[in-house]
Amino acid sequence: MEDERSFSDICGGRLALQRRYYSPSCREFCLSCPRLSLRSLTAVTCTVWLAAYGLFTLCENSMILSAAIFITLLGLLGYLHFVKIDQETLLIIDSLGIQMTSSYASGKESTTFIEMDKVKDIVINEAIYMQKVIYYLCILLKDPVEPHGISQVVPIFQSAKPRLDCLIEVYRSCQEILAHQKATSTSP
Amino acid sequence: MVENSLLPGRAIYDFVLLLSSQFGFILYLVWAFIPESWLNSLGLTYWPQKHWTVALPLHLLITIVIGYVLLFRINMMSTPSLNSICTITDNYAKNQQPKKYQEVAIPALRVISTSEVNQMLFLAAKDLYTKN
Repeated sequence: MEDERSFSDICGGRLALQRRYYSPSCREFCLSCPRLSLRSLTAVTCTVWLAAYGLFTLCENSMILSAAIFITLLGLLGYLHFVKIDQETLLIIDSLGIQMTSSYASGKESTTFIEMDKVKDIVINEAIYMQKVIYYLCILLKDPVEPHGISQVVPIFQSAKPRLDCLIEVYRSCQEILAHQKATSTSP
Repeated sequence: MVENSLLPGRAIYDFVLLLSSQFGFILYLVWAFIPESWLNSLGLTYWPQKHWTVALPLHLLITIVIGYVLLFRINMMSTPSLNSICTITDNYAKNQQPKKYQEVAIPALRVISTSEVNQMLFLAAKDLYTKN
């Protein structure tokens, strides 16, 4: 079963959340960020090239223009490969673990998997980020030494940064699975 | 008003400060504007270079401007990042003693864990946050 809804992120941009219910114990959430817009690309390219042309008129050295072209191309490739995240996916499988996948605009994918034994809870936390206070979803990991302690906080949907309404949807679905998992794990 | 009359010492400090600051200002103007030759003819020869009459106020202004930027950056750097454990709990919350529940009295103040707060806010009250 699959459905798609549109939400907004903390800056007001559009996000699309796709939910897939594979089974009662396995769910996937996929957040898609808007693609690189042509307007911002042309704006950045024009500013860089105008600045290079201004330097060229001062220095009369044509290497500056070719250097500006190289910088723009390499910068765009680096941005698409290392910075721009197109889609973030969260896959929860009861009794197995949680997997987070980020796919970049150049096609690169980076995956993180956390076993269910290490997961204490998934919560919505509030924190100060730059000049705002934002809500974000994070996974709390258990402390091996102390039974009720928390060893690490893993934030999810870091580059998409959805608002509270989207986070509540994901939180409720995750809590259903975690409650089911706790019930089956405590019963012998 | 009442404190000032009770402490005559404070009025004396104020007056000394006023006189010394006015004297310092007049001295600075003399150093900046009167040419070296006139001051030498009066016998006052040991002054710092006149270059410093312009440089010192300028240094002070730039320090103030950089101070604004530096304060802003220090604040941003000391804010804990989103994956730090300070945003969830701290030593006080871990070591707090459980207090006994009394029937009539107001429950004692204590730190409630994030998981419980989340369940109360987002699972129990279904229409509280769905409007935005």
